[in-house]
Amino acid sequence: MRPWSLLLVLLVALPLVAGVATLPPHDAPDAPIHTQVGALYLERGVAETGMKNMVTAVLLNYRGFDTFIEVVVIFTALAAVLALPKGSAPVPKGSAPVPKGSAPVPKGSAPVGKGSSPTSPSAGAARSREDEERPEVASDVPVSPVVRFVVRLLAPFIAMFAVAMLFRGHITPGGGFQAAAVFAAIFIALGLALGQDRAARLVPVDWRPWLQGVAPLAFALVAWIGWRLTGAFLGYPIHDHTAQEAMGFVLEIGIAVGGGVILARVFLEMET
Amino acid sequence: MQPFGLDLDYVAVVVLFCVGLYMLVAKSNLLKKLLGLNVMETAVFAFIVTAGMVEGGDPPIMVAGTSAPFASPIPHAMVLTGIVVAVSVTAVALALIVQIHAHFGTIEIDELKELP
Amino acid sequence: MTGPWAEALPWVIVLPLVGAALTPAVAVRHPRVAGFWAWGVLLVTAVLASGLVAELLARGPFSYELGGWAASYGIELRFDHFSAWVLPLAVLFVVIVPFSWRYLDHVMPDERRPPFYALLLLNAGGMIGFCVTGDLFNLFVFTEVVSLSSYALVAVGGRGLAAFAALKYLFIGAVSSLLMLFATAQLFVLTGSLNMADVSLGLGEIGSGTAVMVAFAAFAVSFMVKAAMFPVHVWLPDAHAIAPSPVSAVLSGMVVKVGIVGMLRIYQIYFGAEVLELGAFNLALVWLGAVSIVMGAFFAIFQDDIKLMLAYSTISNIGYIVLGLGLASPYAVIGASVHVFNHALIKATLFLAAGSIIHQTGFRTLSDLRGIARTMPQTSAAMAIGAVSIVGLPPTAGFVCKWYIALGAFEANQAPFGFALVFGALFIFIYYIRMLNAFYFQKPVHDEVAQASETPWSMRGPVVLLASLCLILGVLGGIPLNFVEPAVLDLLPFWGQ
Repeated sequence: MRPWSLLLVLLVALPLVAGVATLPPHDAPDAPIHTQVGALYLERGVAETGMKNMVTAVLLNYRGFDTFIEVVVIFTALAAVLALPKGSAPVPKGSAPVPKGSAPVPKGSAPVGKGSSPTSPSAGAARSREDEERPEVASDVPVSPVVRFVVRLLAPFIAMFAVAMLFRGHITPGGGFQAAAVFAAIFIALGLALGQDRAARLVPVDWRPWLQGVAPLAFALVAWIGWRLTGAFLGYPIHDHTAQEAMGFVLEIGIAVGGGVILARVFLEMET
Repeated sequence: MQPFGLDLDYVAVVVLFCVGLYMLVAKSNLLKKLLGLNVMETAVFAFIVTAGMVEGGDPPIMVAGTSAPFASPIPHAMVLTGIVVAVSVTAVALALIVQIHAHFGTIEIDELKELP
Repeated sequence: MTGPWAEALPWVIVLPLVGAALTPAVAVRHPRVAGFWAWGVLLVTAVLASGLVAELLARGPFSYELGGWAASYGIELRFDHFSAWVLPLAVLFVVIVPFSWRYLDHVMPDERRPPFYALLLLNAGGMIGFCVTGDLFNLFVFTEVVSLSSYALVAVGGRGLAAFAALKYLFIGAVSSLLMLFATAQLFVLTGSLNMADVSLGLGEIGSGTAVMVAFAAFAVSFMVKAAMFPVHVWLPDAHAIAPSPVSAVLSGMVVKVGIVGMLRIYQIYFGAEVLELGAFNLALVWLGAVSIVMGAFFAIFQDDIKLMLAYSTISNIGYIVLGLGLASPYAVIGASVHVFNHALIKATLFLAAGSIIHQTGFRTLSDLRGIARTMPQTSAAMAIGAVSIVGLPPTAGFVCKWYIALGAFEANQAPFGFALVFGALFIFIYYIRMLNAFYFQKPVHDEVAQASETPWSMRGPVVLLASLCLILGVLGGIPLNFVEPAVLDLLPFWGQ
């Protein structure tokens, strides 16, 4: 137990408790959260959006712009992972000599080496990452044949479940993000059980740049369609339920495929 | 449950937040710190979803079998977005931790501080 | 009643974001194309932004309802005088990106250019969205876009140390984002709405209370972290110094200002409702600002590494802005708001000039870079102009806003803080004198410095352009001041004196 940390935590806890203590009790049906916009959505949602799942209606229709920016966030995560230097890539020599000590160390110390990590001062440190090391040498992962068999057997069924969840997102809990998470989970399971090289083939290299960006692009497309149809950015034509459903599906598929590919790619890029 | 006029669900959320904050601040291993951050994020999401609940409410899905009162749909949408954001932050943090490990061979703050 | 440019409001946000999503696809055969693609997208964005500002000047603030839903029913975008920051922001990006085309040669292999430029576009789009949205939760999501791209951009150039600085930034930044989300949720529970104007009305009905105050405090702390105010500034020096120089320019010039704009937005929400007695809070801001000014400048003096020096200088200048906001008198707040822009310009000049020198010589410390002015005269001149600007001497951009803030201090009967401002300027003066002395009046100690050549035009152009703007805006300083005045005067009656 570190005393200063405990003190900090206590100092933070007190105002937080004060902040929630005086909020209206959460179960009461007359709390502002249930009587303002939320109530209007529940009342008019089915008629205005053609969807039965009000959460999906809020996500894709009423607050679709938030969801747009959210898929941009997860794309940002992928761009971030891709932009970071790879494990053993040497720093290139450009027109200028490589800066000595490319990172400033405020206490004034030796410059950082260029490609290989220095030998660890304590062997114990490696222990915490040992479990991570195995997936990198993926094809010789000592996974039992039972695991391999079961993963391969179940993967298509799990994928089908994810697809079902995706397409029923309008009338049951489910939707694009949930499907994306399950797709990525299958991918990771396959990657761990069968080896990353084999799993990576599921996402063809040539298609990757497009697949990764498909979620924001789907949103941009639907936003533009909405603009043409209703004059408003990301507007859904209220009385044309077919158009609404079609636009919703395009978005859901975009989120599922884009999100799934992004998460899978992040997994693939995590190697030292 | 309202002992002392305090909404117990909300207080539980604050306790969870503080547990996460302690993990973030006090643990030396970078992965554990990241897990502490995740716990804090989960606490805030729990707060949001709890706030949207109603006494005896049904999920906000308009099919046969559900009836008023409904839980508010907006908190659910907020948390869905929030979870995606949390996943993104975790992904970037993990990539950075992998970098640090590749370079220094350790992910313990105590050891990192002692490196030249 | 609104002109056609109002329709462009969502597109000015969406364009850089979609451009980022397309960058890997566009650059798949020739990775270097990513740099030109990003520049093109930002250029169009800047054109859109200027149309929006023209609309603002012609017809006043306007909004856009997304999806055709009425303002609090759906998400509303709102363009007011503080949103006009997106125009200088876009223009600065347009000037900084060409610098990066050659600079990145020594930072990363070509294959990593597409994700790098995607991150830059995401950063820009996120900041634009942040300034233009009228919805609290939308604000949170845009903050995350900006933050995530910033964390990655810090780590892009280096290995372990850069990743470590980025991770420190990430942990502190993520906690601050959580505080923002928590405060948003509190306000949502209290008022039932996420729309900023609506929440303001709702707060007016509820009146003051513990929850209202705690939410304000959470927002305040969150934005203080983003703006790197004392005492939560600790993530900034390493992060901004380790990042590649064009990224440092973006981070110091623009990303930290997100915290300031956020603070202004929260002020707008709370002050419209008149639910808080802000005297105490403003006093805290004034003190913290003054400490930041002096402390930032003090630490900067002892740095040998030029980028660390510039990073500490950023902390000092954010202190000026916060001091101005806390003083809450018209002169001070106007000066602070304009300094948001002027500091961005000056810092970009300084970081790009420093980056040029580092690129050409491979050195980054004052002791190593002695005598550089002989072989890189234009870049050193730009550096000198930036230095004079940031100290606040006329006729440069920095003078006008610092003068206004100082006037504001005396106007608000807080003369001691006016002196803190002058002290800070004196400290800053000392370290820039050190730098100019080393560059101009000492003999080179390294061959690379003695034989360095000036940078290619794609790098020199932006540096020279920015330095000239520092001078031009010093002379034409009145224009931004007059622009911001109506917005500030609208806000001030509720500010709490």
